[in-house]
Amino acid sequence: MSDDFLRKPFSLAPAPAADEATTSNYASGASKFSSGPVSPYLNYDSRYLQRAQPEFIFPEGANKQRGRFELAFSQIGTSVMIGGGIGGLAGVYNGFKATNALNQTGKLRRTQLLNHIMKQGSGTANSLGTLAVLYSACGVLLQYARGEDDHVNTIIAGSATGLLYKSTAGLRRCALGGAVGLGISSLYCLYLLAQERGNSSSPKFL
Amino acid sequence: MEEYAREPCPYRIVDDCGGAFAMGSIGSGLFQGLKGFRNAPQGMRRRVMGGVSAIKYRSPAIAGNFAAWGGLFSIVDCTMVGLRRKEDPWNSIISGAITGGILSGRKGKATMVYSAIVGGLLLTIIEGVGILFTRLSADQYRNVVSPPNPQDAQIGLDEFTFGAASANM
Repeated sequence: MSDDFLRKPFSLAPAPAADEATTSNYASGASKFSSGPVSPYLNYDSRYLQRAQPEFIFPEGANKQRGRFELAFSQIGTSVMIGGGIGGLAGVYNGFKATNALNQTGKLRRTQLLNHIMKQGSGTANSLGTLAVLYSACGVLLQYARGEDDHVNTIIAGSATGLLYKSTAGLRRCALGGAVGLGISSLYCLYLLAQERGNSSSPKFL
Repeated sequence: MEEYAREPCPYRIVDDCGGAFAMGSIGSGLFQGLKGFRNAPQGMRRRVMGGVSAIKYRSPAIAGNFAAWGGLFSIVDCTMVGLRRKEDPWNSIISGAITGGILSGRKGKATMVYSAIVGGLLLTIIEGVGILFTRLSADQYRNVVSPPNPQDAQIGLDEFTFGAASANM
C-alpha cells in the first residue's frame, strides 16, 4: 500500500524533470537513485526515509489536542494582563479625580497618579489572575482525574472556582459565587456548542 | 509537562506572565499557608483559619509580583531577540538585569543597580544550570542511525543526526 501511495504524487507531472535533474547532476550515482522516487531538491537518497510507516500525518488520527495544561499558562497570563490593563485605566481615572479634588500638581501629582495606577492595576490583575489560576488548576485536575477533556470539565471547574474564591466569605456568598461560576461557564459552553454545531454542519452542506 | 514547548516570541510574553503568576500563586500559597498555620494562636481551628487568611491576603500580591517579573522579563527578552537577531544565554542574562532594574525604578538609583545585578546573577545561574544539564544529558540522546546497506552510508547521512540537544531552555 505504501509503495503505490508513494509513487503516485511523484509520477504525475515533475517526474521527467526529476529524472533529468538526477541524471545530469549525479551522473555517477544515477543508477542508485533510479529505483525510488527522488526529488531533485533532496541531496540524499530518499530510500533512507522510513517506508514502513505512513508518511503523512492525517488530521483525523490526531485525537490528542492540546490539553488544559498547555492552555493554562496563556489563559492565566491573558487574564493577568487584561486585569492589569483595566485596573491601570481605572487607576488613571481615579488618580486624576483624586489629584484634581486635592489640587495637587507637579511632582506630587505624578507620584500620586503612579501610586493609583500601581495599586489598582495590581489589585485587579491579582484578583483576575487568581481566578484564572483556580479555574485552570481545577480544570487540569479534572482532566487528569476523569481522563478526558470536555464541556463537563469546564462547567465543574467554573463552579468550583466560584465556590473556592468565595469560600471564606460565608455560606451564602460562597453559594452565590458558585452559582455565578456555574452560570458563566455554562453560558461559555453553550456558546462553544453552538459554534461547534455551526462549524460541523456548514461544510457538510456545502 | 509532557508536550510543553515555548511559544514563539510575541506570544511568549503572555505565556511567561501566566506561568510566573501560577508559580507564584501556588508556591506562595503553600509557603504562606504554612507560615500562617505556624504563627496563628493555639487551637486547630484558629490555626487553619490563620493559614487560610494568610493565603488569601498575601499570595495574590506575591503572585502579582512574580507575574510582573515574568512578563517584563519576557518583554525585554523578546525585544533583545528582535534587536540582536539571535537567541542565546546572554539575552536572558541581560534581560534579567534590565528587568530587575526597571522593577525597582521607583526606589532610587542605588537600588536599581543592586537589583539589576541580582537579576543578572540569578539569570546567569539559571542559564548556567540549564547549559550544564544540556551538556550532561546530550550524550544520552545521541542518535545512532544505521543505514540498511553500508555502502550507501557514506553519501550524506552523517549530517543527518536528529536529536542533538539544542542549548536553550
